[in-house]
Amino acid sequence: MEIDVIKEKISNALVSILGHNNFEMHDELTAKDVDGWDSLSHMMIITKIEEELNIRFKLRDLNKLKNMGSLVSVIQSKI
Amino acid sequence: MVFNSLDFVVFIIPVFLLYWLIFSKSSVYQNFFLLLVSLFFYAWADWRFLILLVASTLINFYLGLKIHRTPEDRKKNIFLYIGLIFNIGLLLYFKYFNFFYEGFFEILNVFGAESSYSTLEILLPLGISFFTFQTLGYLTDVYNEEIDPSENLLEFSIFITFFPKILSGPIERAASFIPQIQEKRNLSYSVSVDGLRQILWGLFAKIVIAENCAIIVNPIFNNYENEPGSTLLVGAFFYAIQLYADFSGYSNMAIGVSKLFGIQLMRNFSTPFFSTNISDFWRKWHISLTTWMMDYVFTPLSFTLRRHQKKGLIFSIITTFVLVGFWHGANWTFVVYGLLHGIYFIPLVFSGKMNSSEIVAKGKLLPSIKEVFKMISLFLLIMLTDVFFRVDNVAMGLDYLKRVFSLSIINFPSIIIASTTIITIILIGFFILIEWCNREKKHDFEIHNYNIYLRWGFYIFIFSLILFFGKSSETFIYFQF
Repeated sequence: MEIDVIKEKISNALVSILGHNNFEMHDELTAKDVDGWDSLSHMMIITKIEEELNIRFKLRDLNKLKNMGSLVSVIQSKI
Repeated sequence: MVFNSLDFVVFIIPVFLLYWLIFSKSSVYQNFFLLLVSLFFYAWADWRFLILLVASTLINFYLGLKIHRTPEDRKKNIFLYIGLIFNIGLLLYFKYFNFFYEGFFEILNVFGAESSYSTLEILLPLGISFFTFQTLGYLTDVYNEEIDPSENLLEFSIFITFFPKILSGPIERAASFIPQIQEKRNLSYSVSVDGLRQILWGLFAKIVIAENCAIIVNPIFNNYENEPGSTLLVGAFFYAIQLYADFSGYSNMAIGVSKLFGIQLMRNFSTPFFSTNISDFWRKWHISLTTWMMDYVFTPLSFTLRRHQKKGLIFSIITTFVLVGFWHGANWTFVVYGLLHGIYFIPLVFSGKMNSSEIVAKGKLLPSIKEVFKMISLFLLIMLTDVFFRVDNVAMGLDYLKRVFSLSIINFPSIIIASTTIITIILIGFFILIEWCNREKKHDFEIHNYNIYLRWGFYIFIFSLILFFGKSSETFIYFQF
């Protein structure tokens, strides 16, 4: 799958859980930069991304997520 | 040796001078000296458990290396499990053995066994809840390859035993602590002065605010059956302030003392009462414990249950908060305290508002009416829940609250016109005002950017308040945990 498509789906998941689109998708984007993306909403975002892309994360994958770039590469490794 | 004692002053001054004058040649000298001082500090508090602390340090150091160096997943898991069983086992034995032991026999008796039992006399090693959480977090991080294990026993030992945090936290993480002691630390005037400021503020919170509140709180709780609901409400108010001032004061002193040695500990409180919902509150209250619980309990649990959507989330939140409560001690009161806090999250989960975390009235002088209303309602809820933190058992907590909500609430609480109460209320007003002004800062008393006259005015004023209204105290609420 194209990176752009993956990013678009991630973006959709974020908007649907957080209810806003006040963020710009780039590789260095971290949860801290996005309003409301915290440990509580994180799991809902992860689940939404799994649904959108039809993949399954492992807990260890989650620990590797440092920013948007690493999220995209973890997802790529699963498709 | 508590931070607010003469013993500590006599201890810290030579330690500070020796550290920067004699042992400042290299990081190894500095670390060697810190370890020596930390072990001495712990032994001074409770020498009987020094061996336990040293043993726990050695075993966890070894296990960290083993987990990292074992290539096979199956063996890796075994070393992790040994570590988890060892650390959790220590906690269970020293802290919870009698709780479960009694519970076991009570269940037997329910089924008519009529067995008699006597509990064991187990002393609680000081700081055990704090240092075992550090070691548990450390082994999990190494296992998850979030960090490399420490290869240096001296550095690892300081991570566990560093004296400013050994008795009551903050619960540090290896990832932020160990890198700081790998380099040689240089004396920074501004950092040291900031540390002293934080110590002064912590001292004020502890011996002026918390101790004066305690004087009002203790007789009310000890004699609650004979007090009207209105007085009990006043008691609950002062206890909520006492609990906060006691532990945030302690934390500020610990962080301030650590700064004197060039080591930054994590922030433990971030003006929690200026919160507009419960999730916001917990992001600012005992942060080192809550983030620990988030990372090592809530995240794995909610991840496992993520397919169950909101039900899974609620179950994970409640389980996490019951454990937060139970961490404080082997008493059902703490379980109830945690359970209630977990339940308070449920409306947020459904409204989807649990993620809003903002500094109240950011960049403004005053909050809006709506924010004031939210902060006060939240404070009242927390204040009533804190009753379970103070009472001896759940029945007493329920009885206390039942009396608060009885008709005797309309009595005039004569205690609030006592002169000591009025003085305490004024002091609390000052305390809250300063915290409000510094709510966007890195700590509650970060006033380095005030002009010199204002700064010194504050130092002298707070110092005088401590002299006039300070009460001596030998312990902190959180030492018992």
